[in-house]
Amino acid sequence: MADRQTYIQPPRILKEAMRRLFLLLFPVVGLLVACSTTQSSAVINLSQLEPLPVEVPTEVTPLRVAVAAIISPKDTLDSYKPLIEYIGERLDRPVELVQRRTYAEINDLIKSGEVDLAFVCTSAYVIGAREFGMELIAAPQVRGETVYYSYLIVPADSPVESMADLRGQVFAFTDPLSNTGRLYPTSLVQQLGETPDLFFGRTFYTYSHDDAIRAVANGVADGAAVDSLVYEHAMERDPDLVQKTRIIHRSPAFGIPPVVISPHLRPQHAAELQSLLLEMANDRAGQAALDAVGFDKFVSINDDAYDSVRVLERAVTPES
Amino acid sequence: MANHDLESRTTLLQRFWGYAGAVSVRTKILGIVLALVLLLGMGTTFQVREVYQQSLIRQLEERSVSVARDLAARSTDLILINDLFALHQLLEETLANNPDVRYGFIIDDSGAVIAQTFGEGFPAGLVDSNTISPLEHHQTVALETDEGRVWDTAVPIFDGQAGTARVGLSEESVQNTVTALTGQMLLTVVIVSAIGIAAATFLTWVVTRPILNLKQAAEAVGHGDFDQHVRPWAGDEIGELTQAFNVMTVDLAKAELERREREQLRTQLLDKVITAQEDERKRIARELHDETGQALTSLMVRLQNLNQQILVPELKPQMDDLRNLLAQTLDDVHNLALELRPSALDDLGLVAALERYVKDYNEHSRVDVDLVTIGFKEDRLPPPVETALYRIVQEGLTNVARHSQAKTVSVLLERNNGRVRAIIEDDGMGFNPQSTMKGDRLGLYGMRERAELLNGELIIETKENQGTTIFVEVPF
Repeated sequence: MADRQTYIQPPRILKEAMRRLFLLLFPVVGLLVACSTTQSSAVINLSQLEPLPVEVPTEVTPLRVAVAAIISPKDTLDSYKPLIEYIGERLDRPVELVQRRTYAEINDLIKSGEVDLAFVCTSAYVIGAREFGMELIAAPQVRGETVYYSYLIVPADSPVESMADLRGQVFAFTDPLSNTGRLYPTSLVQQLGETPDLFFGRTFYTYSHDDAIRAVANGVADGAAVDSLVYEHAMERDPDLVQKTRIIHRSPAFGIPPVVISPHLRPQHAAELQSLLLEMANDRAGQAALDAVGFDKFVSINDDAYDSVRVLERAVTPES
Repeated sequence: MANHDLESRTTLLQRFWGYAGAVSVRTKILGIVLALVLLLGMGTTFQVREVYQQSLIRQLEERSVSVARDLAARSTDLILINDLFALHQLLEETLANNPDVRYGFIIDDSGAVIAQTFGEGFPAGLVDSNTISPLEHHQTVALETDEGRVWDTAVPIFDGQAGTARVGLSEESVQNTVTALTGQMLLTVVIVSAIGIAAATFLTWVVTRPILNLKQAAEAVGHGDFDQHVRPWAGDEIGELTQAFNVMTVDLAKAELERREREQLRTQLLDKVITAQEDERKRIARELHDETGQALTSLMVRLQNLNQQILVPELKPQMDDLRNLLAQTLDDVHNLALELRPSALDDLGLVAALERYVKDYNEHSRVDVDLVTIGFKEDRLPPPVETALYRIVQEGLTNVARHSQAKTVSVLLERNNGRVRAIIEDDGMGFNPQSTMKGDRLGLYGMRERAELLNGELIIETKENQGTTIFVEVPF
C-alpha cells in the first residue's frame, strides 16, 4: 500500500508572510490599546459627597466697599476696580467690592455695618440718613460740578416731546429708591395729575441706568428717566448706543450721589477714609483711579445740598 | 532552539492544511462565505461604531463648552450682586434643560465653591480636577468617574474677576446610543450571515451535484459499466468536464470492446497453438513409435539373425556392441516418444500417465516424488483437461528438478464435484516472483494460460527458503 499524501504543503513564502504578520500585529494592537486610554488616571466618585471646606475668615478684616447699582454690575466692577485697589494700597488693607441688585439691599448692609463705605444714589442717602444715620463723608466732582440731573429720554426717532406724550406708553424705571430714575419722573407724572401705574401703559424696573438707556435705545421702552452722569459717561464709551436716544427734558439740579459710611464705622477709620478720598486727586495713582470712574476729584459737601431731593421725595408718594 | 521552534510551527501548519483540505467542498464554500460575511460585517460594525462614537463625543465636548460659556455669561451679574439664590436657580435650570449635564458649579475668584448642583456635600477632588487661567477661553478635561467618563469644562467668568463656571457632561447617553447602534449593526450582520449561509448552501448544492454525479459515474465505469452518460448541467468548467467524461466513457467502451475481441483472438490463438503443439507431438511420438521404433526393432531382429549366422568368433564383441547400441537407441527413442506424448495419456488416462511419469522421474532425479490421486475411479476426463493437467504437472516437476534443490515433492490430484484439483508442493528454496528470469516466467505463465484456457485457475505460492506450492483447479 503506497503512502497517500494527506495534505498539501502551503508555499513557504506564505508561511513566512503569515509569521511576519503575526509578529507585526501584536505591537500595533498594544499601541492602539495604549492610545485609547485617557489622560486623567484618578477616578472621581460623584456619588460620594463630602462637606465643602468652610471658609476660614482671613486674619485681616477687609474693608468692604459697596457701590450702588447705578450702572450694571460688570461696568461697576470695571470702573471702580482701580479706585478700590487704590484705597486698599493706601490703607495697606484688603478691600472688597460689594454689589447688590437694589439700593435697598445696599442700605441694609450699611445699616448693619456689613459694609463700611459706600457709593450710593442720592435718594438712598436721603432715606438712609433719615432712617439710620448714614453719614456723608465726601462727594465726587464731575466736570466741575457737584450736582447732577435727571434726563428724560426717548428713542431718537420718537415723536414724543414731553412726559404728557408718554401717556399709555411703556416706561422704564431704574430702582424703586432711585431719585433720577423713579422719583423724578413720578413727580412729573403727578404734576400731570396722574399716577404712573395708571398713566403709563406698562412700567418695569431695569435696576441700572445704563440698562434703562439700552431699553430705550432698543425700543423695549418708549421712555425712561436716567442719571445724567451715567448718560454722559455712556456717550463717551458707547456713542452708537446713546445716539439711538434723545433727551426731551432735563430736571433741576440735584446733589450728586455721595460717598457715605456706615454708622458702625469707627471714627478713626472714618477720618482716615475721608482724608484719603479728599487727597486722592493729588497723586498719580489716585488720579488714574478717578479717571476710571469719571470723577475729577472728591470734595467735602454739606448735607443741605440734598435738600431738594428731600423735597422731591416728600412730594412723591413712594411705591411700597 | 529557534530551528526546533520553526519546525514545530511548520508541522502545525501542515496539520492545519491537512485538516482544512480534507473538509468537504460544501463546508469549504460555507466557511469562506461565513468568514467573509463575518469579517466584513464585524469590520464595518466596529469601524462605524468607532467613527460614530468619536463624532458623538466630539459633539458632547463642544456642547459642554457652549453650556459652560452660557452659564458663565448668565451668572456674571448674579455673582457680582451676590444673588446666590438666583445663581442656584440658574444652575438647576442648566441641569434641567440640558440632558447630558451631570453637574454644574460656580467657583468664586478665591477658589471657593459658591453654588453647586450636588446638594449637601461635594465630590472630593472635583474642584481641582480642571484648573484654568483667566486668560483662556475655556478648558475641557475628560474625567474618569464612578459613573463613567465625564467631560468637564471650565470657563472664566468676566475674565476670572467673578470666578469660574464649571460644567460636567456625562458620556452615558452617548455610550447608550453607540451600544444601541452596535447592537443593531451586529443584528444585521447575523441576519446577513444567515442569508449568506442559505445562499452558500444553495451554491454548493449547485456546484457539487454535478461533481457527485460525475463521481458516481466514474465509479461505475471503474467497475466496468461503460453505459454511463452524465448530462451536463451548465456551460461552465464542470459542464466541460462532464462532456469530456462522456467522450472518455464512449472511448473506453470502444477500447473495451476491442480488448475483448483481441482477448478472444488471443485465446483462440493460444488454444490453436497448444493444440497444434500437442498434435505435432502426438504425430512425432507416433511416428517415432510406429516408424522409427519399428525400423529399429526390425534392425534388432535382423542383427539377431546375423549374429546367429556369424561363425567368426572375432566379430562377436563387435556384434554385441552393435546390439547394445541398437538396444540403447531403441530405448532412447522409446523414452523420447514417451516424453513427447505418452501414449498412456491417450490410451489409459491422466492417472496412469502420471504414475508412469512419476516412476520415471523418481528413477532419473534425486527428488522424491509422492503422487496421491483421489476420486479417479470413474470415466476419464475430457482430453483437453487431461492434457493440460499432465503438462502442468510435468512443467511443475521439471522446474522442481531444475531450480528448487528440494528433497521431496508431493503431488495431489483430486477430482470431485465437476472440478479437478492439482497441488504440487515442494520443500525447496522457493523463488521470488519479481526476480525470476524471463524465460522461467514464461513457463509459469504458460501453466496459468493452460489452466485459464479451460476456465480454471492457477495460483502459485512461494517464498524464499520456504518452498513452493502450485494450486491448479479446472472445471470439466
